Amino acid sequence: MRHTGRLAYRKGARVNGPLIVQSDKTLLLEVDHEQAEACRRVIAPFAELERAPEHIHTYRVTPLGLWNARAAGHDAEQVVDALVEFSRYPVPHALLVDIAETMARYGRLTLSKHPTHGLVLTTNDRPVLEEILRSKKVQPLVGDRVDADTVVVHPSERGQIKQTLLKLGWPAEDLAGYVDGEAHRIDLAEDGWSLRPYQKQAVEGFWHGGSGVVVLPCGAGKTLVGAGAMAEAKATTLILVTNTVSARQWKHELIKRTSLTEDEIGEYSGTRKEIRPVTIATYQVLTTKRKGVYPHLELFDSRDWGLVVYDEVHLLPAPVFKFTADLQARRRLGLTATLVREDGRESDVFSLIGPKRFDAPWKEIEAQGYIAPADCVEVRVNLTDSERLAYATAEAEEKYRFCATTATKRKVTEALVRKHAGEQTLVIGQYIDQLDELGEHLDAPVIKGETTNAQREKLFDAFRQGEISVLVVSKVANFSIDLPEATVAIQVSGTFGSRQEEAQRLGRVLRPKADGHEARFYSVVARDTIDQDFAAHRQRFLAEQGYAYRIVDADELLADN
Amino acid sequence: MSTDEQAQRSADTPRSLAEALRSRDDASLGALLRARPDLLTPVPNDLTQLATRAATRASVVRALERLDRFAQQVAEALAVAPEPATYEELHALVAGDEGEEGDSAVTAALVRALATLREQAIVWGPDDRLRLVRTARELLAPAPQYPSPTGLGPTVAEATAGMSPNRMQDIVTTAGLPSTHDAVSAVRSLTELFTDRTRMSALLDEAPAESVEVLSRLVWGPPYGQVTADPARHLRWLLDRGLLLPTAPGTVVLPREAALHLRAGRAHRVLQPAPPAVEALREHRPQAVDAAAASQAYMALDTVEELLKEWDEGGPAVLRAGGLSVRDLKRTAVALDVPEPVAAFWVELAYAAGLVASDGEADERYAATPAYDDWQELPAAERWSVLATAWLTATRTAGLIGGRDGKDRTLSALGPHLDRSSAPEIRHRVLTLLTTLPDGASPTPESLIARLRWERPPRGAAAGGSTTPGTAGGSAPMELRARIAQWTLNEAELLGITGRGALSAHGRALLGSESEESPAGPGTHPTPASPAELAAYGARAARLLAPLLPEPLDHVLLQADLTAVAPGPLERPLAETLSVLADVESKGGATVYRFTPGSVRRALDAGKSASDLHAFLAAHSRTPVPQPLAYLIDDVARKHGHLRIGAASAYVRCDDEALLNEILADKRSQSLRLRRLAPTVLAAQADPGALLEGLRQMGFAPAAESAEGDVLITRAHAHRTPPRTAPEPVHDGPPLADATLTGAAVRAIRAGDLASTAPRRATPDAGDALPRTTAAETLATMQAAVLTGEAVWIGYVNAEGAASQRVIAPIRVEGGFVTAYDHTADEVRTYPLHRVTGVAELADD
Repeated sequence: MRHTGRLAYRKGARVNGPLIVQSDKTLLLEVDHEQAEACRRVIAPFAELERAPEHIHTYRVTPLGLWNARAAGHDAEQVVDALVEFSRYPVPHALLVDIAETMARYGRLTLSKHPTHGLVLTTNDRPVLEEILRSKKVQPLVGDRVDADTVVVHPSERGQIKQTLLKLGWPAEDLAGYVDGEAHRIDLAEDGWSLRPYQKQAVEGFWHGGSGVVVLPCGAGKTLVGAGAMAEAKATTLILVTNTVSARQWKHELIKRTSLTEDEIGEYSGTRKEIRPVTIATYQVLTTKRKGVYPHLELFDSRDWGLVVYDEVHLLPAPVFKFTADLQARRRLGLTATLVREDGRESDVFSLIGPKRFDAPWKEIEAQGYIAPADCVEVRVNLTDSERLAYATAEAEEKYRFCATTATKRKVTEALVRKHAGEQTLVIGQYIDQLDELGEHLDAPVIKGETTNAQREKLFDAFRQGEISVLVVSKVANFSIDLPEATVAIQVSGTFGSRQEEAQRLGRVLRPKADGHEARFYSVVARDTIDQDFAAHRQRFLAEQGYAYRIVDADELLADN
Repeated sequence: MSTDEQAQRSADTPRSLAEALRSRDDASLGALLRARPDLLTPVPNDLTQLATRAATRASVVRALERLDRFAQQVAEALAVAPEPATYEELHALVAGDEGEEGDSAVTAALVRALATLREQAIVWGPDDRLRLVRTARELLAPAPQYPSPTGLGPTVAEATAGMSPNRMQDIVTTAGLPSTHDAVSAVRSLTELFTDRTRMSALLDEAPAESVEVLSRLVWGPPYGQVTADPARHLRWLLDRGLLLPTAPGTVVLPREAALHLRAGRAHRVLQPAPPAVEALREHRPQAVDAAAASQAYMALDTVEELLKEWDEGGPAVLRAGGLSVRDLKRTAVALDVPEPVAAFWVELAYAAGLVASDGEADERYAATPAYDDWQELPAAERWSVLATAWLTATRTAGLIGGRDGKDRTLSALGPHLDRSSAPEIRHRVLTLLTTLPDGASPTPESLIARLRWERPPRGAAAGGSTTPGTAGGSAPMELRARIAQWTLNEAELLGITGRGALSAHGRALLGSESEESPAGPGTHPTPASPAELAAYGARAARLLAPLLPEPLDHVLLQADLTAVAPGPLERPLAETLSVLADVESKGGATVYRFTPGSVRRALDAGKSASDLHAFLAAHSRTPVPQPLAYLIDDVARKHGHLRIGAASAYVRCDDEALLNEILADKRSQSLRLRRLAPTVLAAQADPGALLEGLRQMGFAPAAESAEGDVLITRAHAHRTPPRTAPEPVHDGPPLADATLTGAAVRAIRAGDLASTAPRRATPDAGDALPRTTAAETLATMQAAVLTGEAVWIGYVNAEGAASQRVIAPIRVEGGFVTAYDHTADEVRTYPLHRVTGVAELADD
């Protein structure tokens, strides 16, 4: 294997691969290397892309990733070969051994259907079964021992036991299959449009794997992946979304892109309770609790669903997790722009909904022209002396609110809006009074929690039509609103250091523009305050996705005007 | 055999070991001394002394333990052979009856083993008169106390030594032999029967099946069995024919001759003439092995450096008993991100290489030695060879750490009691055995350990000569040699001497064996290399390793997520600066650094300016410096040093700037060491009192300020302590007694006095108190009494302090004791002389 790449690091090199294996089981992939693409393809099945900045991408090898690879039909030999073949330096022997041992743990236990006993857990390695049956967490999930190698599992605990076994380090291979659900004809209406190549790949990846998560950047058309999956399933579908606006958009999109008619799609939300072959429900209504019970969870059982789609799966609330565990016999599709969960429950997503089936870095899709390039700018604002003094004396819990809503920031924001006058501009913030004030100064409508859905849709529509060019939105608009022509987004405050919020907000301006205009994304940040620290935390995620921020002083930026 | 021949033989046949040694040439004597170095200290005066020493029990045990399995088996066979034995007899015992026509491998091995035994002076004499050194024979021959390693019992003659002649005759007749006139001839004829294969087979053909079954149970040892007082019929059959001979009530033994017949003449059930081969587990490409080993070697250097960096500013404290506490080891393991035993290995390695030591301060801590600084300057390959050679020759064994010693003390890293003198030899041997495999092949540890066990059988295993190799180990704890061998394999991998379990080219060079590599026959263990040789081997290994180590890079890749990736090892100055400027996030083939405000501040604190940092990054980055990173540096630099902190002991403040100018201009103020901090503030190094005084002397009228800024009013005021109680008087001597106590004391004294002065009952002899003499007189009188045999009268105080008087007739006086017939007690007793208060001669009656 001879290679003389652009970056030939070593004279008389043995192998000059693009991959460097680190002792903490991260893999560094040099993207400018000529073998980088080939390498990416072979490591993608078992390694998670963790960071994708401009030169070196970082992948991480985790037990979960290795088991997912096993589940997808890859064996340890392939993984080891991939590492050895592309690695620039010899791969530590211990790591290879560890990979082989980890992967060997998968498949010792199998969940399958028994003709008489129903769902059973079988093993081909009896000590493993003995070990896990001794665990207190497994005991309540299993029933009688059928024979030395087989134990009955309560069908309702299929998800629970998979999750528990994963935590115990003996992931079960689920061969119990899926129920087809109630058949319902759904076709894609590809008139004048078609699924983009990566969307097709995502649908295929999902369908081949059975269940799982598709990770696509905002604006890359996740809804269409959902529609594509429904067209494959051709069965009744339950779609779970974050809020009512999003539900309406799904409905709108489905009617437009598929053979479904308005009558076939029901909305199950706080205001309407329709159950139709395709039902779109909000997380909020499902998690409404009355007298200690979740009255709307019966929705899951109300029809024989053939497919459950989870939109924005990274926001999946805990009670839905619990219920999803009981839905293991149905196909599940998770859609998200980022699997980063601030609560760190990514592994629950993987074990309950399914492994990641498709993943494309933002930059890659941007390069293909499906999402707009964006210029991300952090605007550092110097607070006035009196503001700094007030900030210094503020109570700890008030500090963020104070520095995030200072008058100086407001003025800078206004100046930015003026600078981009004529462009469709979104001002996004966290604090209502700040937004109200901004709305007043900018003479722009404000959309916040109390704004009715009808009013929201009207405003969105006006914005889409270009009737209004500035819209001030609170975090209610964080998710799943489709504003194709927003070219400038200015965020003035956020949910502390939330990285996924940052990703979602950037997504607002990444939809392809009609004129190919470059989008701008500003974060207005007060210098030397906690605001700056939070901003750094939020931006790190984007930087790792390849979206580098420029940092500019407000004075400089506005002086250009 | 004619008398002539006998005479001639006796002329050149040595009659003793000393004579045998005398007839050996210098080279062969040298070989003996090399193989048994214990014979050399102190250097024997002559060959007789050498022979005597070579036959001492300790030396023989040591020599036997160091023999390989087959040489031991030969010695064991010789121990059960008649003395002296011929080569043919020995061969028969080793190879068995049917082996005679020529199992050439066994024969060759036997010749070699015999040569080894002769060389080591365990066996002497020519082939027709082979003799085992007596001590060795005693150690190896069957004895009732411990079974022979061969599992053979005593001979018929030995077993029947105490038997009644009648019983002997019974046995002989029952065995179908003509009765003889005495016991000796009866034993002889029975022995002849047992050793005659055909007659013996005929005899055994008649045996009942159960009897044969009993014999087969005893044949491979242990040869002893239990019988009841009234044995069953089949046992009776054996006992009657002498096939089982009683040794003690209820115990019987299978005589050696009978056992040998049943074994077809073989002393050992499983003969191990050839060393078990080391089996290859897997074969890799030699290049892959070298590459893997080289990368691990690089990791080793990295880890040692990281360890010492971790300990750079004061390492962990030295335990009182020496060594590292368990907690410190844990902490180090976490810092190095390795399991604790591995961390212990690195710590010990650094210690063995002289890179770390105790600093010897009052509160002792571990720290890097000056040698570490020199070591760091060496090229990577040489640094590795320092570590590798130190490891190879170290007697300290890191594998023991965490275990417990014989006294149940935990063995701590860097602590005492970790030295195992055999460790260097085993390490060397293990690695040498790896050279016997094809290049790139890794061994199965089991086969390697089996081989080591053959070369030097563990002490316990020799007893069960019948156990097959490989069955040992398993669940039972392994002996130290096997454990060290196992550790050697692990540690060699960690050090990068082996890669993927196979010996690398540089590892091979380290052994210095390429040319002199021999198929390691028994007894040809290469002697450990001298320091000079080792240094040469180390240098050769370093030369081989150097091209395999990654070349240090002079650049990094900077990325917008505020990381820098070094896609390989960095040149030292670059790595050092970068590790200050950024935090290390991940290590391995590459290093990932992350820039944070904290890390940038650290670089600024270290004296770098923002422009230095910009220049540094621009110089070492292959890619443009990302804007956020440049901004970060400027942002931190902007704030850096904004606040200034210093120490002053007093200040002068005054709203009138001119007045402060005046003070500063005044020469007299120099002693106050004033410095202007702000237009209206001066800081002084003098304390407030001195400052006040100084300024007053200069003609100013300063006022003191409190910490809150109020003007202090100075007024004479008395200094007071907090509330205190007055001290209690302390009397010297005992407290004064009151009247009651005094009265009681007087009464007690009177009573005592009365008791002591009361008239006594007169003693029969003298009527006065115990005799009192000086110690010298006592001794002289006693000795005189021993000579004259007279009785004396002594005063004696026993262990409880009770005095008594006795009349004794001394028998002997020695060692401070007198042994005497005590007339008072009417028995012979021993008295310590120091307890005798005095002695007086008895008045003649």
